Amino acid sequence: MLDIEVFPVLLTVSAVLFALGALGVLVRHNPLVVFMSIELMLNAVNLAFITFGRFLNSEDGQVFAFMVIVVAAAEVVVGLALITQVYRSGRELDVDELNEMRE
Amino acid sequence: MTILAYIVGGLAVLSGFGVIASSRTIYSALSLVANMICLAVLFLLLNAQFLAAVQVIIYAGAVMVLFVFIIALLSPGTGTDLETQVRSTPRFALGIVAVAYIGVQVASLATNNITYNRDTHELRGVSVSRAADPRDTHSFSFTVDDVNQHGNVQTVGGELFTTFLLPFEITSLLLFVAAVGAVYLTRRPETPR
Repeated sequence: MLDIEVFPVLLTVSAVLFALGALGVLVRHNPLVVFMSIELMLNAVNLAFITFGRFLNSEDGQVFAFMVIVVAAAEVVVGLALITQVYRSGRELDVDELNEMRE
Repeated sequence: MTILAYIVGGLAVLSGFGVIASSRTIYSALSLVANMICLAVLFLLLNAQFLAAVQVIIYAGAVMVLFVFIIALLSPGTGTDLETQVRSTPRFALGIVAVAYIGVQVASLATNNITYNRDTHELRGVSVSRAADPRDTHSFSFTVDDVNQHGNVQTVGGELFTTFLLPFEITSLLLFVAAVGAVYLTRRPETPR
């Protein structure tokens, strides 16, 4: 189906997406965008998992990617709940300003 | 198929750049949806049909709807995000480091010259016992007949409920804790503080 030469390309795509996500976490100030960048990194890891799983002829990559998706869903739920609480407490949504948990 | 993989991979990188470079949060969210759909197409090309469906339903469906709802609910500052970023120099320096990291990753992958010998099943000197034949549509550790008979979903499910049963059950506990935590965090205080 896929030519063998595509696998390094897919791994490159995965690496670039991960680096873009890391860049987003580092430079963006909006916590929502930071969360989306984290999602981007997790997606990149999923792509690497599945590519390696396909190449090494194993289902394990897909199972691990599934676990990553579950963990990402849980992380998003808790993270967005925290962001709404921070917003409700009347503080500005800026990761540079948010340096303490208590109000 | 190979051309499609290249095109979709490029689109995934473009939309990934859109996530971090968009001036408004909602554009970032839409770029992320595009990125996830591109990845789902790549998963399909890699014979991971179950993961592609899960990606579209859970990520592009549930998670991103949650994001869009929160963005609509909070409507955080429009457009000021990108302007303020330049002022904080330490983060900017870290950003440059991250971009350098992209460069190193791409350069190392480009110069690595990953070789794969179809006769000896050798991948960069590491012997892979059962490497996939890329021309084979259903080459997994299961036999071709197995997959043709049961399909990819059933083989992944079988693995999930036999070898990885304990981690799978633990993820259910994790989701439960996350749901309880979200309800606890977003509740309104009973007495005004």
